[in-house]
Amino acid sequence: MAERETITPGSIGGLAFAFLQKASPLQWVAPHLRAHVGTALAFVFAIAFPLMIDRNDADIDSAANALAFASLALGLNIVVGFAGLLDLGYAAFFAIGAYTYGFFASAQFMPAWSGFWEPFEWLHLVARVHQDGGDLVHFTVSFWLMLPFSAAFAALFGILFGAPTLRLKGDYLAIVTLGFGEIVPIVVRNWPSVTNGAMGLNGVAAPQLFGHSFGINATPYYFVGVGLVALLIFTSTRLKSSRVGRAWMAIREDEIAASAMGVDRVKFKLLAFAIGAAFAGATGTYFVAKLQTATPEMFMFPVSVMILVMIVFGGIGSVWGVVLGAVILQVLQSWFLEDLSQWLHALGRLIGVQWLQHIELVSSIELIFGLILVFMMLYRRQGLIPATRKVRALSLAEQTARVELAAPAPAERVRVLGDMTYRGPGPLLEIKGLTVRFGGLVALREVSLSVPAHSVVAVIGPNGSGKSTLFNAVTGLVAPNAGKVHFAGHPIEGLPPHVVLGRGMARTFQNIRLFPNLTVLENVMIGMHARLHTGAVGALMRLPGTRREEAAAREHAIEILSLFGNRLIPRIDHVVSSLSYANRRRVEIARALASNPKLLLLDEPTAGMNPAETLELAQQIKRLHEHGLAIVLIEHKLDVVVSLADNVVVLDHGEKIAEGTPDVVRRDEEVIRAYLGRSASLRGAAVA
Amino acid sequence: MGWEAVYLQQVINGLSLGAMYALLALGFTLVYGILELINFAHFNVFMVSSFIGMMALEFFGLSGQSHILTGLALAGVMAFAFVATMLVAGLLGVAIERFALRPLRGIPGTVGMITTIGISYILFNLVLLTKGAGSFNFPNPMPRVAWTIAGATLDLREVLIWGVALVLMTGLHLFVNKTRIGKAMRATAQDSEAARMMGVDVDRVIVMAFFLGSALAGAAALIFGLYYNYTSFIIGYTAGLRAFTAAVLGGIGSVTGAMVGGIIIGLIEALGGQLIAVRWTDVIIFSILVLVLVFAPTGLMGRANPTKS
Amino acid sequence: MPELLSFQGVNTYYGDLHVLKDVDYRIDAGEIVCLLGGNASGKSTTMKAIMGVVAPARGDVVYEGRSLKGVSVAERVRRGIAPVLEARRLFPRMTVYENLEMGAYTRGQGAEFEEDLQRVFSLFPRVEERLKQLAGTLSGGEQQMVAIGRALMARPKLLCMDEPSMGLSPVFVEQVFDIIQTINKQGTTIFMVEQNANMALQIAHRGYVLQTGQVVLDGPAGELRENPMIREAYLGEMKVG
Repeated sequence: MAERETITPGSIGGLAFAFLQKASPLQWVAPHLRAHVGTALAFVFAIAFPLMIDRNDADIDSAANALAFASLALGLNIVVGFAGLLDLGYAAFFAIGAYTYGFFASAQFMPAWSGFWEPFEWLHLVARVHQDGGDLVHFTVSFWLMLPFSAAFAALFGILFGAPTLRLKGDYLAIVTLGFGEIVPIVVRNWPSVTNGAMGLNGVAAPQLFGHSFGINATPYYFVGVGLVALLIFTSTRLKSSRVGRAWMAIREDEIAASAMGVDRVKFKLLAFAIGAAFAGATGTYFVAKLQTATPEMFMFPVSVMILVMIVFGGIGSVWGVVLGAVILQVLQSWFLEDLSQWLHALGRLIGVQWLQHIELVSSIELIFGLILVFMMLYRRQGLIPATRKVRALSLAEQTARVELAAPAPAERVRVLGDMTYRGPGPLLEIKGLTVRFGGLVALREVSLSVPAHSVVAVIGPNGSGKSTLFNAVTGLVAPNAGKVHFAGHPIEGLPPHVVLGRGMARTFQNIRLFPNLTVLENVMIGMHARLHTGAVGALMRLPGTRREEAAAREHAIEILSLFGNRLIPRIDHVVSSLSYANRRRVEIARALASNPKLLLLDEPTAGMNPAETLELAQQIKRLHEHGLAIVLIEHKLDVVVSLADNVVVLDHGEKIAEGTPDVVRRDEEVIRAYLGRSASLRGAAVA
Repeated sequence: MGWEAVYLQQVINGLSLGAMYALLALGFTLVYGILELINFAHFNVFMVSSFIGMMALEFFGLSGQSHILTGLALAGVMAFAFVATMLVAGLLGVAIERFALRPLRGIPGTVGMITTIGISYILFNLVLLTKGAGSFNFPNPMPRVAWTIAGATLDLREVLIWGVALVLMTGLHLFVNKTRIGKAMRATAQDSEAARMMGVDVDRVIVMAFFLGSALAGAAALIFGLYYNYTSFIIGYTAGLRAFTAAVLGGIGSVTGAMVGGIIIGLIEALGGQLIAVRWTDVIIFSILVLVLVFAPTGLMGRANPTKS
Repeated sequence: MPELLSFQGVNTYYGDLHVLKDVDYRIDAGEIVCLLGGNASGKSTTMKAIMGVVAPARGDVVYEGRSLKGVSVAERVRRGIAPVLEARRLFPRMTVYENLEMGAYTRGQGAEFEEDLQRVFSLFPRVEERLKQLAGTLSGGEQQMVAIGRALMARPKLLCMDEPSMGLSPVFVEQVFDIIQTINKQGTTIFMVEQNANMALQIAHRGYVLQTGQVVLDGPAGELRENPMIREAYLGEMKVG
């Protein structure tokens, strides 16, 4: 079903961008080297920049400011772009980094001298100032030492401000962060002993390198800025393509599904807040060291909005995009508008229009920001450089290629899927008296069932009988009101979904919950989240151990995808929202398998598939079962149930009404009545 | 004044402020109830409207507070000012919905809210650029009449404010409960798809909500100017914060909640300024906002649920 | 009896999922026609296509001889099609009376409104007792009465009911089906989507059975009642081409 493409400003922009891409010299470089060559070129340009232009200090200072904003944009990009948390109070962390350095590197706070301070003097962290009334302590902590310290301190506040927002919906999360973002400058303004209030913290020490102070020349600051931005770009890209980045994007795309696939939402949301805040804290220190002063006005809501505009303009989620957005908008502010104003003045004089001669575009920069924001939201939400690029569509030959279902050899399959057999005593899953209520409605009433190791249990029943609720309650998505659930001998009721996944129970969803803007491969690799161990530090350093783990994970994902023949392998780098319905179901199953489960819960896996596809999937499920995987299956197609299930449980109105082998159950009168409805008691004429 | 008189005075002040915040919060909550959209632009529509109100009064040659009118002239001028301001404000709201928000309807997430931030910015800066950053003397033709009650002063202004607010709130109440399209609005807020299947034109209902909500903001803006005798480009931010907190406190999406929340926030501001320093008022209000959202997100009487399932 | 509504080769999609596949129905004036089927068979989508919430990608929905293509939901209500929605979906914080008023939204409040109100009261005395109560506080069965009453306030020619027995106790189910018969005898054509095949076939004139978007059985209710293949269709065992 082709959709008619409409011409919009966004599509025109996209075409222009594609054209530029084709025209750029980078196209002569081999694709896999393109990123590295591009980065190297950008770096060389940045270093050479002050030498290229006219050595005007004001211009270099503007460039240094651009670098500061690029750093802020990179930080906000982690919170908003990667993790999907709209933080409208980001400037607060910028302030915290700034004032922390200001506090420890100025004469603002000078307690009385005592013996306590001697070791600090020896470490050159403080200096002793002689005064008539008694000696004072002057904080002289080095800029280079404060950079990481401010970052860490800001990160603490990131966690502090982020913690209350964990359960809130997107727009309310934004409001709470906005609240914190406003409280910080107000506190700053009203705490003069620490911050010198509205008058601003002055006399902040400039950085020193090998005994030389940076002074007021902008050039050394510029190079520090380049270093800072380079470091943050490096950090962002490393994190983005790591387990941490995948976890963030999973949370952004579908928090519930992310949790069900093993991602600890609380931990990773707080991590995003912390790292984002750390970027801002470091930038705050840099900015204040350059200005040597800090005032509350520098950190208010307009600054938070400006950074938001920069990342929206540049491309939310794209590392280079947000850098580009920040640089362009800063250049716009400091150079282009100035020049444009002069040009408009000249035009006004030429054509005799008064107001043109007096127009000052520089002061209207915030108006321009507002216009950009609205325009981008309406016409090009993905920004200048979209975070996800379209992969070229499959050629006709690839699309019509015959599906090869060459099943891997049994031994091979065991290796791929790992040992899935549960060998403990007792059943793998034991549910006793499970009751779930939603307000006044009883969704499940005293349901008990048990899944022995290496078995397939089917759960069937009419609409609204509680089947999906059963899955939700067992996997921890919904807390049961009563009852017990034991998995592999341990009680799991009340455990959060990501822990349940870690124990070995994975599921799919009735209405397919994939991560829509991520590729097939990324979706499946997120399924492995709980089995991998790389954290933020590991992602950054990318030691051989981490690289081995990533490579093995990727290989594993591909092997699992190959269980579906060549249906999914050619589409590995395709965004899942572009896949057919049947393929999306397969990806969801592959994602669940990637977690090496002992028990797989499939919620209507063949829904929407035609008979041929249904048969194919049923056979694949059977093969999985043959390797020791236990499966619980919600299914409507009874022939599938008959061919797969050892045991069938029938639910109706939240209660178990029958249980037994498929043959027994389908002849059970109760079951038939549940599906077809009770007939009326004898009254009322039947209609002829 | 004895301390009872002081507190009574602050209660009077608080009720006047509360009436204004209630009107502003009402307009905001009307839109939220139907679209579940946090409309940042609402508070700068309020600010723009105060300038419109100022122009409406200046149209009669009034300026400053020395020009006094009485009787029929006063009633006529005030009526004109309110009608004109509310009308222009309403139309501004409708324009915003039509051109910036309708194309984005149905897109999940924060896209709509971010767009309203952009529009808010545009309005704010347009006024800043054209009118400058200063305060403007708001014309007030009301005679200086006041009564003393138990040591506290009750100004004619305050009586006007309470009167106007009461009339508008009653009018809104009657509108949503007694008129056909008002009931359609309530139905749409409760279940927009079912309302559609009753034949309700949901698009028209949304336009009506924006018109009414913005008109109420216009009324609140005129009240602000008459009460404080000034206006400036920044008032959308300060009053907006309080009105937004009022809506959340009362239960976002609930009409009664907005009224109750507005009164409470007004009283908190007046009494808080008395008990604690005025400069901490913003922090107090923000803290209430954050605390309500984190611990009691549905507010006093609301049903909208700001938490994830 | 003249044809009131028909589906002619209707195909609908949900993204790339083919939901209704070349579906044909016919509902004649004065009939009760039921649409049966198991889960995920396409019953809800049929309702949506009639009301205008979903537009067919191919094929046509024809009402009173005219195609409904491009006709808005509101206009369909005005032309005489009124829905009783799945799980009632009354407006929970409006009173019973106000819900009934919303049912008559397209008709105004003249003399006919009073007549329709009286008709609803005579069918559902309980509703009259609870006029001032908030709809959300009623029990499931009472809500169903109000939901049917609300639809009747539109004075429809065709009443479309989506799973009227869902979530109701057996006692209420019987009452509801009795009332459906009464309404039909008073002249309203009824199209009913139902899971409870037994009850539906007891009062319907004709029925269609849907499985994964295709009509697999149809005919007079009496014949369908005796047909063992219904069970297979419901249990998803029928082999479809």
